[in-house]
Amino acid sequence: MRPHPAALRLTARGLPRCLATPSPPHVAGAGPAIGAAAPLPLCPAVGDGGRLAGAGWASAMEQGEAASPPGVREEEEDDLGYRLFPDRNKKQQSFLVRSLFTYHNRCQLMLRMTLDTNPYAQLLLEAMKQSGCTVFNDRHFSCENCDGCVSGGFDSATSQIVLCQNNIRQQSHMNRVVTHELIHAFDHCRAHVDWFKNVKHLACSEIRAANLSGDCTLMNEIARFKFGLKGHHQTCVRDRAIRSILAVRKVSKETAEKAVDEVFDACFNDLEPFGRIPHSKTDAKRAYRDFQNRDRYNANL
Amino acid sequence: MAGGGDWRPPRSCEDYWWEWKHCRGLRHAFHHYYAHGALPACDRWRDDYEACRAWERGRAAAAQEALCKSERARVMEKQKYPPVWTLRKSPPPDWYIP
Repeated sequence: MRPHPAALRLTARGLPRCLATPSPPHVAGAGPAIGAAAPLPLCPAVGDGGRLAGAGWASAMEQGEAASPPGVREEEEDDLGYRLFPDRNKKQQSFLVRSLFTYHNRCQLMLRMTLDTNPYAQLLLEAMKQSGCTVFNDRHFSCENCDGCVSGGFDSATSQIVLCQNNIRQQSHMNRVVTHELIHAFDHCRAHVDWFKNVKHLACSEIRAANLSGDCTLMNEIARFKFGLKGHHQTCVRDRAIRSILAVRKVSKETAEKAVDEVFDACFNDLEPFGRIPHSKTDAKRAYRDFQNRDRYNANL
Repeated sequence: MAGGGDWRPPRSCEDYWWEWKHCRGLRHAFHHYYAHGALPACDRWRDDYEACRAWERGRAAAAQEALCKSERARVMEKQKYPPVWTLRKSPPPDWYIP
């Protein structure tokens, strides 16, 4: 089903495989993925030179065109981020081409591993099932080639999580992307989230996803050359949410910061369905256990 | 709160023990400091564990009351902030449409 462009809202979870600009500290959000030892190459130019893709981790498909390439008609509206997910609008490749010439099979295998073994994903799947949104692998996940540095996204128009098979190379990366996007999907399932028009709603979901998916662990931040200890998790969550908004909305930095600041307290402390900030798989397993016991908990309050 | 005869602690006593032990650990202290800028306070988990054990031993009403009060306070803390969005009553209509 091809979504109407105006209805499409894709949050993208980019985990950096490349640097958007040669200045690492500025685009620290595009730092190396865990385990990457070599310095990252520059991102291939995407439309405006990769600036939006360099925002990396959470560029949504509703991309504002900050600088369109010369010779292209300047569009008044957001281009909705289609350029980061070019396969969304293309006919699906044949089975043979897909199997032999893309990383589709690898993506599917890693996805299956995540859904079967990762406690973060298992908790989210169970929570969504309880909310009436059972997730089916072949309906709600799609492994596709994406552009630039994007690692994944959530398409609210088709209720699909897009995974960038050409940018996700490690299982740990897949785990984090799936968790991040499942949090968006969970929010979409349980609440009337106005992805398209309400910046605060977008900010809230991004704050929650950055907070709960493990995006802002100390090791991840160090890998992005961002150093801090006391309360740094909140700084990271805030920064990543702001960058995500700027990547997907034609709003000023002040507007994005204001939106994030207004909803930060409420959304940082909204820990559904985990009930805690899971800093490790142990925490996630415990949260899953608490979720399974919630009937007893609620009945005996 | 459920009726007196059917009531049992919201979590098992082993869970309270685990939470207390986990709260006191170095790893959790580090993560809490990293996330919130302060060290965690774990006494509540200890008090809840002791209340749970007291209830198991003698079905003490005071222990039950203390446990309920503590858990309700935890729930209220989570609801401190007004929600940003309206919750749905049913899932999105197009969730399953192919």
